[in-house]
Amino acid sequence: MLPLENVKVLSFGTGGVVPDAGKLFGELGANVIKIESKDNLDFMRTIGPDINNIAGFNEANRSKRSFGVNLKSEKGKKLVGKLIGWTDILMENFRGGVMKSLGFGYESVRKLNPKIIYVSSQGFGGGGPYSDFQAYGPMLSSASGMLSIWAQPDDPYPVGSNSPLPDHMASKHVVIAALAALDYRRRTGKGQFIDMAQTEVAVSLIGEHYLDYTYNKRIAKPMGNRSLYAAPHGCYPCKGVDEWCVIAVFNDEEWQCFCSAIGNPEWTKEAKLSTLRKRLKNVDELDEHIRHWTSMLDAYVVMETLQAAGVAAGVVQRAPDTLADPQLKWFGSVVEIDHPVAGPRLYPNVPFKMFGASPFQSSPPPMLGQHTEEICRGVLKMSDEQIKKLVEEDVLHTPANTQGTGKSMFG
Amino acid sequence: MRKKKEGALSVYRIIDLTDSNGAYCTKLFADLGADVIKIEKPEGDPGRNMPPFVDDIPHHEKSLYFLHRNAGKRGITLNLETADGRDIFKKLIKKADALVDNSSPDYMPELGLEYAALKKINPGLVMASITEFGRSGPYKNRKGSNLVDFAMSGVMITSGYPGKEPCLCPGSPAYDAASLYANISILAALHMRAATGEGQFIDVSVHETSRLGLYPWIVPNYSYALNPGAPPPTHETRMGASVYPVYPCKDGLIRVIALTPRQWDALVRVLGSPEVLTMPDWRSFLYRIGNAEDLYALMLEFTQKYTMTELFEAGKREGVPIAPILNIEDFYNSPHTKAREYFVDVDHPVAGKAEYPGPPYKWTETPAAIARPAPCLGEHNIEIYCKELGYSKEDLVAFRSAGVV
Repeated sequence: MLPLENVKVLSFGTGGVVPDAGKLFGELGANVIKIESKDNLDFMRTIGPDINNIAGFNEANRSKRSFGVNLKSEKGKKLVGKLIGWTDILMENFRGGVMKSLGFGYESVRKLNPKIIYVSSQGFGGGGPYSDFQAYGPMLSSASGMLSIWAQPDDPYPVGSNSPLPDHMASKHVVIAALAALDYRRRTGKGQFIDMAQTEVAVSLIGEHYLDYTYNKRIAKPMGNRSLYAAPHGCYPCKGVDEWCVIAVFNDEEWQCFCSAIGNPEWTKEAKLSTLRKRLKNVDELDEHIRHWTSMLDAYVVMETLQAAGVAAGVVQRAPDTLADPQLKWFGSVVEIDHPVAGPRLYPNVPFKMFGASPFQSSPPPMLGQHTEEICRGVLKMSDEQIKKLVEEDVLHTPANTQGTGKSMFG
Repeated sequence: MRKKKEGALSVYRIIDLTDSNGAYCTKLFADLGADVIKIEKPEGDPGRNMPPFVDDIPHHEKSLYFLHRNAGKRGITLNLETADGRDIFKKLIKKADALVDNSSPDYMPELGLEYAALKKINPGLVMASITEFGRSGPYKNRKGSNLVDFAMSGVMITSGYPGKEPCLCPGSPAYDAASLYANISILAALHMRAATGEGQFIDVSVHETSRLGLYPWIVPNYSYALNPGAPPPTHETRMGASVYPVYPCKDGLIRVIALTPRQWDALVRVLGSPEVLTMPDWRSFLYRIGNAEDLYALMLEFTQKYTMTELFEAGKREGVPIAPILNIEDFYNSPHTKAREYFVDVDHPVAGKAEYPGPPYKWTETPAAIARPAPCLGEHNIEIYCKELGYSKEDLVAFRSAGVV
């Protein structure tokens, strides 16, 4: 069996956080329905010309079914209300206040389903002046202090990454909250409301820097790739353009391994580099020597040479490296899934193994409204007539009346 | 008086063999009320020596990293490399719901403490084992670290200032990815156990979880770009400055997320609709990326007229997400942080009292909370060994002199 068989999840998700959480629920066996509307598309469906052929959207929404509905129509709301009665867990990451304005705030929803678990995950969280501010992933690092130290000390200003980190760390916290609440409900019969602030997730991940402020009154500054307790600890240029390998040496034993791995050149014998304390002190000079060594070598040669000697080293990788990675191949970490519009594409698998469960499931990402009719029949027990009427009235959205409706957000 | 509400997971006992690299997994359990017993070697978790320290004084009770990630847990010392130590460990396992460890792949089996052996003692036990690269496979014995796993995660190549070396994300993103997945897998296994009565073993690798979990869209983005006859996929590199540009303002920096033409129009309004920004070409996201440097030079004049808060609030009003770039102190002092009462007092007997970042969520029925400070080394030895496992004080003295605890 799959671990979360019989768990029902209703996802009002957009962008990264809640869709990614719902995907994981689905992969672990839960019955996940994504509520969507063609009138107000998940913005990830609009970053390309075809709503059903977007990599990020399709990745984040695998293993769930799509229920397309006009959320602003009374008839649509009524159907969604029935799905709320059906579900165990509701999770949402619309802008703060949107669910309430749709009539699906926690207080209304618990009247439909007193035992529901309702996880609300906003950028800033409820109960404060910024509760209804919109937040995309890169804003979480910005507004949490994380970005202020995600830089080299001499950068003109911090820019962090073009990936939305920590969006996908926040999504895991959503899953944890929902599963823990479900566990409590199983024992007590009680549901509850969980109000998550994604910026607080980011803060929690760098909590030691906050303790540096509350204990020591020090405002952390960027350290780049350097460490307070390892040297070398950095990212070094290798042969080619924009090719890099990182190296981390934590103690003097590893340092000896490092020196012999690179052939014990003269500079490694200098007394000022002989202990960790000295290497930390003379780290600029140390890094200069290492850059000189790495820049003539292929990044993979650097990694393999050092790993063979027991030194932590890793190529700064891109997508093709992932596909070639022997360890990930061994685990089957990347899977190919076919899709009626996108065709066969590669996606990450669940990155852990549960030896008491059957293999995780990964069904193709849904087209908008792909399962509307199926859910109407199976869950809402509606007749074909009723369904047909509501599709005609544009209350229900199916691929037949949504394909080609999208428009790229980039104009 | 009403009984104080308990956390959602307060019925569970988690045995925690992780060092600081897996500590976030069990911290999340402790935040939700589980009884987490952290087992350290008699000399202590190496994470206790991780700088910086309270008052910059190196001390095994004062590491900030340790204090944050171990708050809420109880702590005992135990040497699993002694026969008595293993006997005591098995007694603990008997009453535990889950065990988390992050020793090297062969360590627990060499001690005879592999899952199959522990399951005989407690069939309901869930065990998650976090290793750097996994418990099998060609990279099984490789050396990892947060930096190495972040480099291999695919996120680092896109992190940092354009044209400079890729830059590590602060915190421990790679280890925390593993911790988060380990936590999820344990909760899923406990859910399954409620139906089957059986525990199970879970294999979690830092390499795999950070590669697939920190930014799962990397492989699909690449795969979707591979089309017959189409240009090769974009070279992954550091684009943070052009995709989500950062601008100086009166009192700091802001980051702008203007992706759609509508958001761009809103941004122009926020800045007082200066004519030079109303050129129609600027409405295209791709045009802006292609001309990022020119745009940056143009924008400076206007963004610097306003404060972070003015731009943050005007962005909300007009419909373009603008984030203030807060430093640690700014976030701490933010009115929103205060309104949510996010920071909570924690009093540590040696490190002293300070405000700690609280759990990142508020629960209506079962509060999430930091119930106690991080344990001092061996702080709960007497409580757990004598009061809970039934050893006498004399036993404990004998264990200590034999190097067991």
